[in-house]
Amino acid sequence: MPDTLIPPKPITSALDSRFKPSLYARVGIPNSFSLESYQAGGGYQALRRAFAIGNDAVIDEMKKSGLRGRGGAGFPTGLKWSFMPLKDGKQHYVICNADESEPGSFKDRYLMTEDPHQMLEGMIIAGFAMRASMGYIYIRGEYVLAAERVWAAIHDARVAGLLGKNILGSGFDFDLQVHRGAGAYICGEETALMNSLEGLRANPRLKPPFPAQAGIYGLPTTINNVESFCAATQIIRYGWEWYSSMGTEKSKGNKLFQISGPVQRPGVFELPLGATFREMIFDFAGGPLEPIKAIIPGGSSTPMMPWTDTVLDAPMDYESITAQGSMLGTGGLILIPQNYCIVNATWNLVRFYAHESCGKCTPCREGIGGWMVKMYEKLVRGQGKPGDVELILDMSDNIGGKSFCALADACLGPVLSSIKLFRSEYDYLIANGKSQYGGSSRWAD
Amino acid sequence: MLYFTDKQTQLADIFSRYPHTEQGRRSALMPLLREVQNALGHVPEENIAEIAALIGSTATEVKSVMSFYSTYHTTPTGKWHLQVCATLSCAIAGSDELWDYLVDELGIGAGEVTPDGLFSIQKVECLGSCGTAPMIQVSDVGFSECITRRKMRTQLEQLRAGANYLPDTVVPVFIQDGQQLNALEQKIGGKYSELEPLKF
Ligand SMILES: Cc1cc2nc3c(=O)[nH]c(=O)nc-3n(C[C@H](O)[C@H](O)[C@H](O)COP(=O)(O)O)c2cc1C
Ligand code: SF4
Ligand code: FES
Repeated sequence: MPDTLIPPKPITSALDSRFKPSLYARVGIPNSFSLESYQAGGGYQALRRAFAIGNDAVIDEMKKSGLRGRGGAGFPTGLKWSFMPLKDGKQHYVICNADESEPGSFKDRYLMTEDPHQMLEGMIIAGFAMRASMGYIYIRGEYVLAAERVWAAIHDARVAGLLGKNILGSGFDFDLQVHRGAGAYICGEETALMNSLEGLRANPRLKPPFPAQAGIYGLPTTINNVESFCAATQIIRYGWEWYSSMGTEKSKGNKLFQISGPVQRPGVFELPLGATFREMIFDFAGGPLEPIKAIIPGGSSTPMMPWTDTVLDAPMDYESITAQGSMLGTGGLILIPQNYCIVNATWNLVRFYAHESCGKCTPCREGIGGWMVKMYEKLVRGQGKPGDVELILDMSDNIGGKSFCALADACLGPVLSSIKLFRSEYDYLIANGKSQYGGSSRWAD
Repeated sequence: MLYFTDKQTQLADIFSRYPHTEQGRRSALMPLLREVQNALGHVPEENIAEIAALIGSTATEVKSVMSFYSTYHTTPTGKWHLQVCATLSCAIAGSDELWDYLVDELGIGAGEVTPDGLFSIQKVECLGSCGTAPMIQVSDVGFSECITRRKMRTQLEQLRAGANYLPDTVVPVFIQDGQQLNALEQKIGGKYSELEPLKF
């Protein structure tokens, strides 16, 4: 990827010969996670460039690149960085959200196990840009190998003078620590994460104040996803022009997409934003192994989409997926096979959200954690009655937009979309006491 | 038995990760709980009190935090605590059958420990390995992924024979010489997205 090669026409397909993976470029290289290997591949050049151009220019490049947060919400990263107060004399923090618990998402994990320095470099650059002196990486507790590799990378970076006092003679001091979670999805919500890091129960905090004013320990804090920090490394290394040559008009850059469900090759693929579902599912994942009826496009919280040519040919970028009634989210596709009961699939996700509800606010604690999951259990057991679907819709109406954080709304994504798209399956199940379709029978020998 | 009495360097290391303030001290709660649980398999009552004293809090508050997370146990688990992911991608790939198999094979249900103390089982939510479903986490050691009946059987046999559990992780990322592998292009010699849609 020579810096001079800036294509005249935007890249919106990974089959475009000008496209090269950058975030996962080093995955698969022996010892890719070691500092020597990272530096041999040009690692920490972005940091040197950041020091050369100065902190304000870094924020400026991030804004121009068009990068939007890859943790799910898609908030413009450069803009977020510019919210940090510049001269308040307080300590500033940078936090990396490596809680990755959204069902269907598993991209951050391999960024950490296979290329942890790429993430560290992005965090150091972010710390430099936002005048922070300390950063935490909040890794979900179950990611044992990721935590080990990140710890080792921090250690090596300290020894090499890439962390600590006066980094590379720039006069900039910055250090990083790892904090490990303990199994709670809500810890991925940025303010809940801060409570968890402070040793409290991980209930979300009221916003405002936003983290940039009062985050961890009441001090200015910026929190980004692992992939966002890795993208920052690439942007500062190759420049915003290169980055924004990929993607569509409003959705710039490339993204890690994940796919699970019955396809030939479930896994992580790096594609420019604007690549189609068809490209992802067929060209890269090798196509489905059996008929599919629904696609969850961006992790469990995003509404299901029907398996139609219109959807398959839709570009995967923020605007197009929103126009199709769903969201890009984390880019974690889950394919639901034709013969898997949709009510059962939805119950599975409702149960997930019910289990993960933190219990702070009533609409979610009672609505999702109590009623919604009970309604679905009843339906799945074949004890549903006419009117139950209406009751679910009525409950959804009383939960949606009325809860403290986005978790409750996230649960309504699969609920409302499955009813909208597959109402006949609900009706059949209620009328007959059992589903047209079974559960899975796919467990191999 | 107190756990940290003779582990002052370890304690100092944990506290050094956070600010030297009252709030910072409290941040050490989760790493301290993890230390104890990793060593003892669960966090006994007296160690809850010990940790509370260390971070300047109370046992009730520590328990309140512990109960928030699914990882901490207050009662002993089996030597190998098998946590089966039950969320959608794993369910589609057969985690229900995997669970039933474990229940049959070990003769225990959720929250129980086999009489020999070797195994306990628990259903958990998405572990971030949906691309290699179905999968389980074994104690705090690591993941076993792409589990088949045969693989599960072999692993149980090995653990019963006293072997140590070794994480069995698959990286479902397909890169060769900096290029992503494209399964079908190789297989059918053309771009799949340009072909007729699949018919089953
Ligand atoms: C319930 C809930 C769970 C979340 N889980 C995660 C997560 O696991 N990882 C993540 O990066 N962001 C997660 N987020 C989004 C974060 O709150 C936050 O927007 C994100 O970390 C910001 O980073 P970004 O701007 O780089 O995307 C979650 C949000 C909610 C409401
Ligand atoms: S919506 Fe749910 S998770 Fe969010 S604060 Fe309310 S109870 Fe907690
Ligand atoms: S659904 Fe099982 S690991 Fe994600």
